[in-house]
Amino acid sequence: MADLTRAPALSPALPTALPTRAELRRAAPAAVSAVAMAVMVAVCASLQPDVLTVPGLSLVLSATVPLVIAAQAQMTLMSVGDIDLGIGAFVGLVTVIAATSLVSSPVTGALILLGLVAAYTVLGVLVHLRRVPSLIATLGASFVWMGLGLSVLPTPGGTTPAWLAAFGAWQPAGFPAPLLPILLVAALVYLLACRSGAGVRMRALGSNPVALQRAGLSPLAARAVAYTATGALGVLSGLVLASQTGGGDVSSASSYTLMTVAAVILGGGSFRGGAAVPWGVAIGGVTLGLVSVVLSLLDVPTALQSAVQGVIVLAVLAGRVVVGKVLR
Amino acid sequence: MNVRVLLTRPWIWGFAAAALVWVAILAISGQGGGQTVSLALSLAPYLVVVGLGQMLVITAGPGNIDVSVASVISLAGFVSVAAAASTGSVVLGVGAGVAAGIAVAAVSTVAILGLSVPPIIATLASGLVASSATLSLAGGFTAVPDPGLRELLNLRPAGVPLFAVAVAAVTAAVVAVLRRTVYGRSLIAVGQNRRAAERAGIPVRRVIAATYLASGALAGLTGSLLATYIAPTADLGTRYLLDSVAVVVIGGTLISGGRAVPTGVWGAALFFILLDGLVNLVGWSTAAQNLLKGGLVLLVLFLAGGGARTPGTSLPSLRRRRRPAAADTTTPGETTDG
Repeated sequence: MADLTRAPALSPALPTALPTRAELRRAAPAAVSAVAMAVMVAVCASLQPDVLTVPGLSLVLSATVPLVIAAQAQMTLMSVGDIDLGIGAFVGLVTVIAATSLVSSPVTGALILLGLVAAYTVLGVLVHLRRVPSLIATLGASFVWMGLGLSVLPTPGGTTPAWLAAFGAWQPAGFPAPLLPILLVAALVYLLACRSGAGVRMRALGSNPVALQRAGLSPLAARAVAYTATGALGVLSGLVLASQTGGGDVSSASSYTLMTVAAVILGGGSFRGGAAVPWGVAIGGVTLGLVSVVLSLLDVPTALQSAVQGVIVLAVLAGRVVVGKVLR
Repeated sequence: MNVRVLLTRPWIWGFAAAALVWVAILAISGQGGGQTVSLALSLAPYLVVVGLGQMLVITAGPGNIDVSVASVISLAGFVSVAAAASTGSVVLGVGAGVAAGIAVAAVSTVAILGLSVPPIIATLASGLVASSATLSLAGGFTAVPDPGLRELLNLRPAGVPLFAVAVAAVTAAVVAVLRRTVYGRSLIAVGQNRRAAERAGIPVRRVIAATYLASGALAGLTGSLLATYIAPTADLGTRYLLDSVAVVVIGGTLISGGRAVPTGVWGAALFFILLDGLVNLVGWSTAAQNLLKGGLVLLVLFLAGGGARTPGTSLPSLRRRRRPAAADTTTPGETTDG
């Protein structure tokens, strides 16, 4: 809502101040998603007033945390103009590792998780050196993640380490616990992608790889950094998911692959690369996650839930088109 | 010389991989090489039909992809079996399945062209709608697939599945459409450079709409036939989403659009089906199956690469990968044809 209330105040300056209008245009998609999010919270609250209390908000938001973190991973990759169709399987694989190796021997588990991040780096390097489309490379990798997960844990199960379970059950007084990881990760990604030199190089790779090379910088390094960050965020998302489900299941996050893409688009990202919108993605991810909460509160039949979810995504994007036309 | 041939014939990799897997199957089982091919030829066509639709969509240019095919296949399976059972006509049943696919694709098309929603999101949303419809239909579903059509799909005179021949004819038709018709040339032009195609007077929106509707129809056809061949289930199409994209790209179609290789879809589909056969033969688990599939997809992909990498030329070729028409002089010719 904050973005929206700010927008009218700035609008008189529109005809003269170009940067402001550009800024406004960039913030518009996230603002539309923020409106959708506010509407959804309002609907929840009208149906069930307890939603607005701290435990209520924690409950409603907790399911969205892993999705939001995975969406940040997707956004990082989309900022270099690539796309990750393996993130769902990867997050699932991390939950499996968290529920098996990380319990039996924390050191091995941690090393495996580091190895998974390194695997993402290698994937990025190969994608760059062999100049293959990231879409198909990550698609192929998703089969590998799925296979690894199934070979470690053929059926869902296992237990999560005590510290992870404690994090999942953490209920601080005064503010909803899920907000902390959402904001913390968004801030981290903001620092990396929008405020650091590495982030500038990543976005340059997405918007104009030729300019990046002409500037004497390595596109390979930029892509490797982006893939490493994506892998690290994927691991984080998997750990949070495991802390909530209390076990490992390689297919527990398979819907994330496309949902994270939707979250990035809702948050104002684009497929063309060059844009990093961590705050928008946090809003987009929470909006998407809240849809299922609203639907269950509204008693929508299970069979119809996904249809309503699809229609809501389309409606939010349609709202974005309208706002975009107004601002042009 | 060798590298040149491989570069000019992008479909070779799928067939090469399929042949490799076939040899592996022969070496392990020691007999029945022809039987393996015959079996693969009876399963691969389903993947080919949905792959051809996906190929048309991907050819339409950067960002174009149809992620609703999985839900469409499942939905069309139920719709066609139900329609065939209630009307008693197989043709009507298959027609209803195709119509269901077109209806879902129409939702995507309206979202893409009317609301300017990115195709991956639009087809995701319409796929969600389709899967809701599937779940509603699946509850208390009792109709059984038509035995006559099933027999026809299973017909294998001299070991060659009739259905494979039919799909080969469809593939040939797609090749002809892409090469000879105004629509096909327009589609390739739009895929190479949408703006240039627009300036040349090509009805870009109509071409894109036709492409998504064609993909929906082909996915609907796949679902109708697959449900008859196996049985209608809610997750009938699940594996076809990733597989359809994978076979298109392994087949040599440019992921950035503008170059379609229908023949390559066959090679890649045979590769995938034979791979399943090999894993079943060895008796590996689903885990190993996934690992092998992913590993081989990555291997073929990285071996084939985006072309030979020579120092100093990496920049122009990087640009070509993203915007094929930028470095391609064929666009004017393409557009005058369209």
